[in-house]
Amino acid sequence: MSFRKAVTLFALAAIPTACGGGGEQAAPPATTAAAPVAPAAGTTGDGTLSGKITFAGTAPAPERVKVAADPKCQSMHPQGLEKQTVQVKEGGLAHVFVWVKNAPGGQPAPAEAVTLDQLGCEYHPHVVGVRTGQPIKITNSDDTLHNVHPRPTVNAEFNIGQPRKGMESTKSFDKQEIMIPVGCDVHPWMRSYISVVDHPFFAVTKDDGTYEIKGLPAGEYEVEAFHEKLKTQTQTVTVKDGDNTLDFAYQGT
Amino acid sequence: MTPRAAMRDTLSRERGEPGGRVHRALPFPRARHWWSVATCASTLVLIFIGGLVTSTGSGLAVPDWPLSYGMLMPPMVGGVFYEHGHRMAATFVGLLTLVLAVWTARREPRAGVRKLAWGALAAVVVQGLLGGLTVIFLLPTSVSVLHACLAQAFFCLTIALALATSREWIEAGPPAEDVASVRTAAGLATTVVFAQLLLGALMRHTGAGLAISDFPLALGRVVPPLDSAPVTLHFLHRVGAVAVVAAALWLARQARRSRDRRFSRPATLLLVLVALQVGLGAATVLTGKAVLPTTAHVATGAAVLGLSWLLTLRARLHLRRPQAMAVLTAPLPDAAPTP
Repeated sequence: MSFRKAVTLFALAAIPTACGGGGEQAAPPATTAAAPVAPAAGTTGDGTLSGKITFAGTAPAPERVKVAADPKCQSMHPQGLEKQTVQVKEGGLAHVFVWVKNAPGGQPAPAEAVTLDQLGCEYHPHVVGVRTGQPIKITNSDDTLHNVHPRPTVNAEFNIGQPRKGMESTKSFDKQEIMIPVGCDVHPWMRSYISVVDHPFFAVTKDDGTYEIKGLPAGEYEVEAFHEKLKTQTQTVTVKDGDNTLDFAYQGT
Repeated sequence: MTPRAAMRDTLSRERGEPGGRVHRALPFPRARHWWSVATCASTLVLIFIGGLVTSTGSGLAVPDWPLSYGMLMPPMVGGVFYEHGHRMAATFVGLLTLVLAVWTARREPRAGVRKLAWGALAAVVVQGLLGGLTVIFLLPTSVSVLHACLAQAFFCLTIALALATSREWIEAGPPAEDVASVRTAAGLATTVVFAQLLLGALMRHTGAGLAISDFPLALGRVVPPLDSAPVTLHFLHRVGAVAVVAAALWLARQARRSRDRRFSRPATLLLVLVALQVGLGAATVLTGKAVLPTTAHVATGAAVLGLSWLLTLRARLHLRRPQAMAVLTAPLPDAAPTP
């Protein structure tokens, strides 16, 4: 008997609906269209999809995090750590994961690892995109201990310790899953996100909010932008060989 | 003759005395009693520290077990301070219990108390294993809840050991008639409080602590829409709080009626603790699960359970069922053979 059932029986209440994180639902697509038609699996093409994710309005004020719980972190950030989840530069929004939802998969995953480093009691980069099965090299460049603890919902969860500077661990995820939160339970302010995709058609926005996805076969696609705080936006786009543009616009308060 | 053999001899001679207790002539094991009290007090502190681990989200700050980052003593930074601190405190309580069990086995003439001490040792060992399992398997709800509930049960065992070795127990006279139903009220309070702690542990380890984020109303209503497991669980815990208040009030009333300060004083203290506990529960919700009120809520819950359990044991020691009730509930004699 599952825990949910046990609780429900105990309460003599109605069977609850599944938890869905109602506040985190994807925003409606910006453009409505018929079901997109995607190319066959394993193919690549000559289309390049690029654009800018913009943010209008007032971004939340940065949060000053106390890091005194670890003297090593404190020595690197004597005034505390400034955390800005909505990072805007020249109107562009950084750290947005953009991916083509219905792109053809089946391309071989790169053998080279993507690096996720712990430096200054922060993760670098903040948002990582990898292919399913692609190795992720997790390194500790800090002179203090960290544990690396992703909390996926589809993939297998793990929790590893890296007590010494220079330690490396290699992990991978074998199922597609977007924005898996990664945290350090020693330093609760540390947060990173790993997106695992079945195909190579994804990107993370740069500091100025721009992104570029290359090698996309011509076709009609559903593209999703995912920000850790502002959540998702989806648009449908027709990609042709050559340059194609697709922008997203987030609105602040 | 060894002291233990002499004690057995004394006991065998005392058996069969009307209304007497086989342990009535026992000497008061002062040192062992205070050791038991220290174990009991340390356990309450350990429960508070265990609560801190969950309240600070440090349950997985140390990813390995039984070592911590492969070390006996990792740097006590960040979440490691709470998680490894909890392990150190648990080891300390485990050692106290081990000494108590061996000491009791060697010196205690009452078989029941010896079994109780071994039971406490077994419980603390299982508790340590559950703590390790919950780390290795990344905090599965079932193991975490079992760990939380066994902590409370172990605390009750240490209370029983402390009471069984106390002068009060050793020198207790014949039990009086329980005209005020203190035994029933105390037993009921203990049962209700333990059930409430189980609900609290379920709520805590399934992240339902803020499923209802307002107080005293629940999602703006007296009864919230029970359309999700977290809300249902959280609301049940609030209903449980009402049951605990009612049980504590009834116990205080009956204890006062008994005109026996051994019951009325702790029952009054229980009421105070329950009031404090309700306040801490409200503070937990209204502060968005701030560390201090949340952890104090866990520890005060343990104290409420411990006190109601102490009252239950004390009532069993000093009171017996009223005669009329004893007749009513006595087993029927064998039917006479039909001629």
